[in-house]
Amino acid sequence: MSESAKLPLEDIASPCNNICRMNPETQLCEGCLRTIDEIAAWSGLSAREKRAVLAQLPARKPKP
Amino acid sequence: MKLPASIQVIERGWLSANNIVLHAPEGATLVDSGYGAHAPLTLALLEKALKGKPLARLINTHCHSDHMGGNAAIQGKYGCRTSVPAGEAPLIDRWDEQALILSIADQRAERFSYDDTFGDGDSLKMGELDWRVIAAPGHDTHAVTFHSPESRVLISGDALWENGFGAVFPQLFGRDTALQETRGTLDCISRLEVAIVIPGHGRPFTGVDAALERAFKRLDSYEEDITRLARHCVKVAFSFALLEKRSMPLADVPAYVGRVPMLADINRRYLGMTAAVFAGWLAADLERAGAVQRRDGMLVATGT
Repeated sequence: MSESAKLPLEDIASPCNNICRMNPETQLCEGCLRTIDEIAAWSGLSAREKRAVLAQLPARKPKP
Repeated sequence: MKLPASIQVIERGWLSANNIVLHAPEGATLVDSGYGAHAPLTLALLEKALKGKPLARLINTHCHSDHMGGNAAIQGKYGCRTSVPAGEAPLIDRWDEQALILSIADQRAERFSYDDTFGDGDSLKMGELDWRVIAAPGHDTHAVTFHSPESRVLISGDALWENGFGAVFPQLFGRDTALQETRGTLDCISRLEVAIVIPGHGRPFTGVDAALERAFKRLDSYEEDITRLARHCVKVAFSFALLEKRSMPLADVPAYVGRVPMLADINRRYLGMTAAVFAGWLAADLERAGAVQRRDGMLVATGT
């Protein structure tokens, strides 16, 4: 099996932390800071796509 | 190995089980609806997944709060046909808070009703595939799994995860055959042709043989020493509660673990600690596992 064919099942842990509540203003989950689209699509993303989502999260943290 | 394109897994966490959308032109089927407190997000995710198409049917692998907690909200929005495992039906009818593991574990779910039931050996059309219903007692006496021989996909609920299976609470609450039943369920899964498992929690996984091996090993250790199962069950129940509350004053933990029947009963019957010792042990053990942190006199769930 080629590397790319394996990618969808490679282990990139979901950032869900069980808060699971959308912020109506930011349209981001208050727990994991993902959009609805990103959460809904997560399971089907390749490892590279998952990493790309994870890389965006720190910048979305609410400013203190 | 990839899932068929008609199967969309919405991977959730621990408080909410995964939502599995099985798409079909005539209407989609949803397997499991998440925790009640998460229902607004679950509805939004479902709307996104359905893209304006109808939801024809809602089905539960079993009726614990993290799998059926969103049923009422989803029925309210979509008016979909709802089907539950036959063994769960009487518990839903009388809304048995003990058997459904609700108030006795400080969990909540909005009451719902169902349209019909299914049981071991039945065939169900979900999405574009035909699925066989397979009884999966253990974690929940009335649980089922769904197997598609054609696609070699198993929707396992909490009967098999990539690393373990759902805590076998019934063994500690009067059903002393539950561990034996868990073994039967794992044996049964090991006889199926399975390429991908979609578990109730965690990502879909291949390597079902390795997962079964881990599960059997875990089961062996519970059978050797029942207090291992007791310790596991109270840790699961307490961390689930803390995930919902997010935090609890450390000073309140002894009273809490002495008050919530599931925690207090298991401790009394299997562990025999004082409430203070019990609370201290739970906090320390979950802290070691990275599930909680102590912060400013509070016990805080890390969320993982």
